[in-house]
Amino acid sequence: MNGKIVKNQQISAGHFLLRVTLAESFKTPMPGQFVMMRDPGRIDPLLGRPFGVYGFERSQEEVTVEILYKVVGKGTLVLSRLRESDFVEVLGPYGRAFDTYPEAGKVVFICGGIGVAPITYLAQHYRSLAAARDVELICYYGASKAENLVGIEKLKRICSRVFTSTDDGSHGFQGLITERFSADISSYAAGSSKIYACGPRSMLKELSELVAGNSVFCQILMEERMACGIGACLGCTVLLKDGGGRGEHARVCMEGPVFNIGDIHWG
Amino acid sequence: MKNAGPEMQVDIGGLIIKNPVLTASGTFGYGSEYVPYLDITRLGAIIAKGVSLEPRAGNKPPRIMETPCGMLNAIGLENPGVHAFIKEKLPFLRQFSVPVIANVFGETIDDFKRVTELLSESKGVDGLEINISCPNVKKGGIIFGSDPDMAHAVTREVKRLTDLPVIIKLTPNVTDICLIAETVEEGGADAVSLINTLTGMSVDIERRIPHLANVTGGLSGPAVKPIALRMVWQVAKRVKIPVIGIGGIMNASDALEFLIVGARAVQIGTANFINPSATTDIIDGIEDYLKRHNIDDINDLIGTFDEEGNAC
Ligand SMILES: Cc1cc2nc3c(=O)[nH]c(=O)nc-3n(C[C@H](O)[C@H](O)[C@H](O)COP(=O)(O)OP(=O)(O)OC[C@H]3O[C@@H](n4cnc5c(N)ncnc54)[C@H](O)[C@@H]3O)c2cc1C
Ligand SMILES: Cc1cc2nc3c(=O)[nH]c(=O)nc-3n(C[C@H](O)[C@H](O)[C@H](O)COP(=O)(O)O)c2cc1C
Ligand code: FES
Repeated sequence: MNGKIVKNQQISAGHFLLRVTLAESFKTPMPGQFVMMRDPGRIDPLLGRPFGVYGFERSQEEVTVEILYKVVGKGTLVLSRLRESDFVEVLGPYGRAFDTYPEAGKVVFICGGIGVAPITYLAQHYRSLAAARDVELICYYGASKAENLVGIEKLKRICSRVFTSTDDGSHGFQGLITERFSADISSYAAGSSKIYACGPRSMLKELSELVAGNSVFCQILMEERMACGIGACLGCTVLLKDGGGRGEHARVCMEGPVFNIGDIHWG
Repeated sequence: MKNAGPEMQVDIGGLIIKNPVLTASGTFGYGSEYVPYLDITRLGAIIAKGVSLEPRAGNKPPRIMETPCGMLNAIGLENPGVHAFIKEKLPFLRQFSVPVIANVFGETIDDFKRVTELLSESKGVDGLEINISCPNVKKGGIIFGSDPDMAHAVTREVKRLTDLPVIIKLTPNVTDICLIAETVEEGGADAVSLINTLTGMSVDIERRIPHLANVTGGLSGPAVKPIALRMVWQVAKRVKIPVIGIGGIMNASDALEFLIVGARAVQIGTANFINPSATTDIIDGIEDYLKRHNIDDINDLIGTFDEEGNAC
């Protein structure tokens, strides 16, 4: 459906916050679900681009969807040039959501770069679970440099502790966020902790090695290029372990984008 | 009950369909994915994702890449195999009272024959589209579609084994598509559909690697439409059997271009990815056009292209 842009603002170099209002028939997205967005007037770029939901509000007449995005190519560049009152096509919400547990003890979020967007929506969901008041929300957030730690203020409001890392040491730990996380890993017991992560493939792969052999619950959001977003084209697959070692394909848009980290075949 | 709109029914090689808009194989899954987004019962026919004798895992990711006004895909015909297709996918597809056409793929002539037999025996399909044109698999596919003798042989063998209407799907990756079309007509094809995707590629210059794990992929979408249209026009002039037009059709105007140059029906592919209700929007658009031009029967429009431009 077509939505109307109420805000499309650059919040730091190359990073934008987009707010779109849509008809109230738009379903409330669950954390981890995504939307497909495109400029409806164009055939170049042709396909919609997937974005995790960053924020969502529902009023009586309309809903507002927020996404936080980084300009990396043609699709996101075109999106960044849209202005207030322009229309943007928003399909979804699509995909499998994160599993959430109001009784969880420690909930740990690990995000790299723009992976912060879907993680923030998940963190907010945890915060709003009435039964989850005693749950401790802890976030590890890594980026290349301090300016690229977008949305960190919002995360700090939601989580009780936020640890950061940057490649250049301009904020927090200097190095990878998985390195920072690994220093604390022993304090997250398998029974009472839940880990959620989103970020570059290399980060997720690293994390899979850190939690391998440990039975801690760990779900990740995987990214792949998409065409349809609804399971029809088989374009967005990732390899899963199938025991036989041959690997089996799963569609990121249907069986994902959320997967149990132990199920992914990293190749 | 028939409404007062123009007649939209067409005959595609013995299969009568209520309107000329079909889904293109591989772009509509097995139907279920699209149920929430459109009224499937309105489609002329559904062409399902390609099916082979044995299950196929498909190619490694990345499998798709967008290019200007189009996309490359190298899915590699991932499918659960013909047995699972008949048992698990067909019952669902059948419930809509829309003709179901299976898209058949084989690595050898024997594969094509066996899948044809199994599908014909299943009594669950209304027609077969024989994919001798897939560019994304190592064996089979395009090899049959680019060699006139092989194309003839597959057509003849398949026709011998089934009473179902047989559509041969042609590849544009040949020097003379008309020659292949004529050959399969001689082999007994009831219709031809064209085009399958055009082989292409795209390079990641930062890493100097292909964007697709398969290196090459098939190009589809608006970028291919002018080529598809030209080929459909040429083939429609050369063969007597019905021609089904495919390639970059995004809206009713695109579909009408194909019908005017001689396509008896059209298939909608990549457009489904961008607009899940593209097919039904196109049906509505064609009907509006016929009304606007006071054409009572779509068959009075098909093939009325005036090459010389004398009509005006
Ligand atoms: C479920 C999901 C949720 C996502 N959420 C967000 C989000 O909240 N914010 C955000 O900024 N981005 C998000 N992405 C990534 C976003 O979809 C891509 O950045 C976008 O499609 C790039 O389009 P483009 O035309 O600008 O870039 P392109 O020109 O297509 O590509 C530029 C670069 O980005 C890579 N790329 C392209 N598409 C994807 C993709 N789908 N996933 C990962 N890398 C890709 C390419 O390999 C290339 O290196 C998400 C992706 C998925 C699958
Ligand atoms: C993702 C994808 C998968 C496809 N799979 C098949 C297939 O299984 N069998 C087949 O005959 N054609 C397949 N095709 C080709 C389409 O049916 C169609 O011929 C082609 O995409 C051109 O039409 P379009 O430009 O409208 O998409 C596929 C195309 C795409 C984009
Ligand atoms: S994007 Fe088409 S199947 Fe996932």
